[in-house]
Amino acid sequence: MLQFKLVLLGDSSVGKSSIVHRFVKDTFDELRESTIGAAFLSQSITIHPHDGNEANAKDVVIKFEIWDTAGQERYKSLAPMYYRNANAALVVYDITQEDSLQKARNWVDELKNKVGDDDLVIYLLGNKVDLCLGTPDAEIGQESNEDGDDEQRVRAISTEEAKQYAQEQGLLFREVSAKTGEGVKDIFREIGEKLYDLKRDEILSKQNRQINGGNNGQVDIHLQRPSTNDPTSCCS
Amino acid sequence: MLSPERRPSMAERRPSFFNYSQNASPLVVPHLAGIEDPLPATTPDKVDVLIVGTGMVESVLAAALAWQGSTVLHIDKNDYYGDTSATLTVDQIKRWVNEVNEGSVSCYKNAKLYVSTLIGSGKYSSRDFGIDLSPKILFAKSDLLSILIKSRVHQYLEFQSLSNFHTFENDCFEKLTNTKQEIFTDQNLPLMTKRNLMRFIKFVLNWEEQTDIWQPYAERTMSDFLVEKFKLEKPQVFELIFSIGLCYDLNVKVPEALQRIRRYLTSFDVYGPFPALCSKYGGPGELSQGFCRSAAVGGATYKLNEKLVSFNPTTKVASFQDGSKVEVSEKVIISPTQAPKDSKHVPQQQYQVHRLACIVENPCTEWFNEGESAAMVVFPPGSLKSGNKEVVQAFILGAGSEICPEGTIVWNLSTTEQGPRAEMDIDAALEAMEMALLRESSSGLENNDEIVQLTGNGHTIVNSVKLGQSFKEYVPRERLQFLFKLYYTQYTSTPPFGVVNSSFFDSNQDLEKKYISGASDNGVIYTTMPSAEISYDEVVTAAKVLYEKIVGSDDDFFDLDFEDEDEIQAGGAVNTKQFESAIDDDDDDDVIMEGSGEFVGEMEI
Repeated sequence: MLQFKLVLLGDSSVGKSSIVHRFVKDTFDELRESTIGAAFLSQSITIHPHDGNEANAKDVVIKFEIWDTAGQERYKSLAPMYYRNANAALVVYDITQEDSLQKARNWVDELKNKVGDDDLVIYLLGNKVDLCLGTPDAEIGQESNEDGDDEQRVRAISTEEAKQYAQEQGLLFREVSAKTGEGVKDIFREIGEKLYDLKRDEILSKQNRQINGGNNGQVDIHLQRPSTNDPTSCCS
Repeated sequence: MLSPERRPSMAERRPSFFNYSQNASPLVVPHLAGIEDPLPATTPDKVDVLIVGTGMVESVLAAALAWQGSTVLHIDKNDYYGDTSATLTVDQIKRWVNEVNEGSVSCYKNAKLYVSTLIGSGKYSSRDFGIDLSPKILFAKSDLLSILIKSRVHQYLEFQSLSNFHTFENDCFEKLTNTKQEIFTDQNLPLMTKRNLMRFIKFVLNWEEQTDIWQPYAERTMSDFLVEKFKLEKPQVFELIFSIGLCYDLNVKVPEALQRIRRYLTSFDVYGPFPALCSKYGGPGELSQGFCRSAAVGGATYKLNEKLVSFNPTTKVASFQDGSKVEVSEKVIISPTQAPKDSKHVPQQQYQVHRLACIVENPCTEWFNEGESAAMVVFPPGSLKSGNKEVVQAFILGAGSEICPEGTIVWNLSTTEQGPRAEMDIDAALEAMEMALLRESSSGLENNDEIVQLTGNGHTIVNSVKLGQSFKEYVPRERLQFLFKLYYTQYTSTPPFGVVNSSFFDSNQDLEKKYISGASDNGVIYTTMPSAEISYDEVVTAAKVLYEKIVGSDDDFFDLDFEDEDEIQAGGAVNTKQFESAIDDDDDDDVIMEGSGEFVGEMEI
């Protein structure tokens, strides 16, 4: 199992937490484990890497350690701890709020500034497509929202504008609806696959090291805990 | 009692919305704040408690209150977390030093800073370094560690072991003989000394009950007690008092010293063969961020760059520099460094702690045990050229602690000596360390059979006694490359060995007659500054006392119950297996312990 840290960013009320909520809740049954704690959310998915290499043909379980901002983003009061060792970030904006893409851009800059890892996967996410029924969007085709009695709002940020920005910055991009849940699962799968691609060499070398004795094979920060059953640990 | 009725806790007030899973019982603690009940878009206009300053004590308190169910607004005038406990980059230190010398940071004085051009415009950047304003170590058996685990804040942190405690004596560093095994395998200890040492170690583990032994000495010094009652000699006495007990001078009284020695011994082998832990990326600066995050998850509101201007105890309104206001229904808690202008109630901070932080360009790996990147060196009274009366403690952190890049090391020196002598003592300790390091790194030890010996199984053993002798004969020619030096004096109201007691916080408790007209801080409670104590021991005590003043009782201080507790434990995140203590029984006296080093290093707790 591979473990990655994923952080959520974006202004308050763009629906960051709802996306994670949706991810965890919706896919609960399919997932291997779901640990709900106050510290952060852990959720695992399985990806199927297909790169022709038989060594990698088997399924890979990826565990996300998902850090919500817990409201500390409201006054730009996120601690360095939040960004530290992040492997992926979801930067969320609200497609019905005009200034929200600009704010997302600021968060992307902030991320690039604070996270040292060049391999950081940033996913730009336009939320609340369910509120904009009238806007056709062949690109992702996920506007099938039957929930008509909701407040209709006008799309304020075009898909093109956001997509272009994402391309310039090398970000993954998608528009979703946390409310209907569509597209949410794909986000995590895409991130998982991209991280797997980026970290494959590192992962394989770690696995080799593990075979040769030693390392416990976890990808990032995760640490070796003291062994409890080593015969030399006490002198009885 | 301030609040006659206990407020409903977080769990009681929030409906459990995470009930979707059939096989899970209702959540006791919500894991994501703000989904069901979005936070208001502006600063709340009414809170239960306002906390000013994000240092260790304030952060632990904020988390305790948030999880108890109080609404908390937690602010800091700085743009970083940590206040007096912060871990700062070199650029942040530069700003901080200017502020201290302008007098805008109270409780600190005489900040002197040297920064090499290699940092910033050379091969290092400011952000490569994390300097702790009050470095701390965490004992493996301590109240703070229990709370870290209970609150799950430990999941935000990474820890490394600290097993290397040295005393500096006769111009060399003696490795501490701190376990039963080491005592019995130490070739240099006479049999009688071994026996006496073992007798003392057995006694100290439950010393309180054995009043007949220590009571007659209750008012005398620890060294008298050890010499007269246990017939121990100076090297062992110093080791016990200064390296194991981490006491500050020879006047330490028997009960205090016994308690501190026991702290070390009971912490040993809880997670492995080491007594203490250090957090990566910085000490208390990192822990306070963790507690603040926990508080935020529990519902507290955070605002950095926010300065308190005044509090009106009649209207209960606190005003901030940006013009916003908040009504505080219970209490305002302020760090002395963040007191508003025109404050008149800040407690007197009469004790000095002198500190020096320096960064040396040298990996100094010789000073660490394998797999570790921290060490503690203690300079007992009289061990330095300056004729020091108080101990100088040097807490050393290497690149593995992630507070400095490969090839560099951070030395944190501190002393409880008061006045100008303090800096002389610190400089003498610095010189001793510098000399030792230069001798060590350039004396070609590898080729010296006298010092380096190969054991039968191929392990290399360095004979520290001979090492010390060779140090004395060696006079280094080159100088160490210092990248950074920061001297400063910190003031605190907590005396050395002092425990924060509740009467301290009473001194400016309500009672309207104490209000001073024109003061901006009538009716607030001030927290304490960090003391000279190198461990975190005072933090929980102080936070608990404050908690009790606000909530009325400390019964539910971090009384957290996570719904998925069993799952977590099944997953093995909590390691409950205790290592056999190296000190509690002795039917295996003759067994020589080997190879225990593989548990040191990084760990999860």
